[in-house]
Amino acid sequence: MTIRSIPCFPPSIELRLESSLLDALKLMLEKHINHLPLCDENGRFTGIVSTQSILSELIPVSARMEHGLADLKFAGDATRLLCSHLHGLEHRTVGELAEKHMPVLDEDCPLLEAALLLSQNTSPLPVIGKDGRLRGMLSRRTLLAYIVQQAGV
Amino acid sequence: MHGTATASQVILGLSPLVVSLTVFVLTYAAIVTEKINRSIVALLGAGLMIFSGVLNQSEAVAGIDFNTISLLTGMMVLVAITQKSGVFQYVAIVVAKWVKAEPWGLLVMLSVITAVFSALLDNVTTVLLIVPVALLITDSLRVSAYPYLFSIIFASNIGGTSTLIGDPPNIMIGSAVGLTFTDFVVNLGPIAAIVFALTLIPLYLIWGRKMRATPEDRAQVMAFNAEEAITDTRLLKQSLTVIGLVIAGFVMAHHIGQEPGTIAMFGAAFLLLLRALGKDAEEQSHETHRTWGEVEWVTIFFFVGLFVVVAGVEKAGALDLLAGKLLEWTGGDFPTTAITILWASAIFSAVVDNIPFVATMIPVIQKMGAVFSPEQLSTLWWSLALGACLGGNGSLVGASANLVVAGFAERAGQPIRFLPFMLLAFPLMLASIAVSSVYLYLRYL
Repeated sequence: MTIRSIPCFPPSIELRLESSLLDALKLMLEKHINHLPLCDENGRFTGIVSTQSILSELIPVSARMEHGLADLKFAGDATRLLCSHLHGLEHRTVGELAEKHMPVLDEDCPLLEAALLLSQNTSPLPVIGKDGRLRGMLSRRTLLAYIVQQAGV
Repeated sequence: MHGTATASQVILGLSPLVVSLTVFVLTYAAIVTEKINRSIVALLGAGLMIFSGVLNQSEAVAGIDFNTISLLTGMMVLVAITQKSGVFQYVAIVVAKWVKAEPWGLLVMLSVITAVFSALLDNVTTVLLIVPVALLITDSLRVSAYPYLFSIIFASNIGGTSTLIGDPPNIMIGSAVGLTFTDFVVNLGPIAAIVFALTLIPLYLIWGRKMRATPEDRAQVMAFNAEEAITDTRLLKQSLTVIGLVIAGFVMAHHIGQEPGTIAMFGAAFLLLLRALGKDAEEQSHETHRTWGEVEWVTIFFFVGLFVVVAGVEKAGALDLLAGKLLEWTGGDFPTTAITILWASAIFSAVVDNIPFVATMIPVIQKMGAVFSPEQLSTLWWSLALGACLGGNGSLVGASANLVVAGFAERAGQPIRFLPFMLLAFPLMLASIAVSSVYLYLRYL
């Protein structure tokens, strides 16, 4: 049994690595997803961008860096600061934050191997076809739903 | 057993002077190139001094200034515990609110607290704690962080100049010569304050007068709640009390006949005890391990190795020769010698690590005691301390704290480049040395 028969989330056709981060965020919010797969004009996988990496960009760099501030309770809600950082995303590209080096699943990957890799990664993993094109993303939820269906429970 | 190394004791019957100078030059060259960690280089140099027969082990151990080592280690333990309380962030937020988050006032106040903390603690720790808050505040005000980081570097080196414990060169000088905490404050405090105030003038002209922040952004900083920065009130009380007592101990050290190293180590042990009370064995062990793990052992063992290397060249007579040469150049004229030491230390410390330089210069100046009176000699110590500490401002590699700030700036996406920094910092450093020359001249020469 391979993962070929499991439906996976299709890659974005509108967004490239050069697209604005703000556009990527809007798309993810609109589609209710946390990870957006990206490919180039030939359909090859180029990376994924996540709400987690975008959210962390909104946090002041002084709290994100090594030896930085351990907590930000004293800074209050700082809505203005978060909004100002959000506006900054408009001029930054998806490529700056995209995770490009991650495990990928071959579309003929056995189910068990896919289950192992997904259990070890926090994000969905890209599924690559024999022609090298990105088929989409396979999430833990989709895989679990498939196993539940197979088990008939 | 102590004694003079003879040619027969030294490897292959070579001259102790040649062997010790070769080890010394190789060690310093390796330190300057920074290819291998400096603690490894210094310890290898120390080992070579012993294996080559220039020193025996007991002479090497006698060459290590354990007062400096204990003072550094003790203060590192005290700071490692205290910083967890959030007190430094608290102070930074309080001063930001005092000046109503006005950008120039903020730069001045952050520089003042950096200078004060650097005078009482080590510079690296101070900037490690102040820079993240400074970055958050400049981020909130939407102003460039560069002027703030630049002035924090200057303030840490200038503040560190003013006390016995502010900067490693002062710790070494104070320990070797027996100068007290009060001696440093009385002699170097005024010039440090003058240099600090004068440094703010060009910073104002270059950046300060153009700094602007919107009322809305300032209101955001004014909404910061300083009390929330304190993470552990009990820890805060304990650590500030112990640090206060230790500093009082430094001031009294001369009168109570104790060395600063003993006071710092005892303070560290006492604060560790306070933290351990009421905890079970496993918790105590975990916390004590963590605290000791935060001591910068690289710096400590760098000092240990360096003291042995310098003891080697001293025993072989190389430093007598150097002292003689220096006096020959200055014609034995006291004012010329004092000003030469000041400028040479400053320029040297701007480009290479000032610790090995000071470690070498201490015995050299001690040997000048044969020519100069004790009062004159003490002026030479102030020349050396001023040059070595203020010289650190001359370039990014002049002091460890500079590199720490540059590292933060890089991570914050506002890098401090070597040359642009030096183009402004080096002339400013030279100006501070010119002012120090006038100070030395008017007060001592």
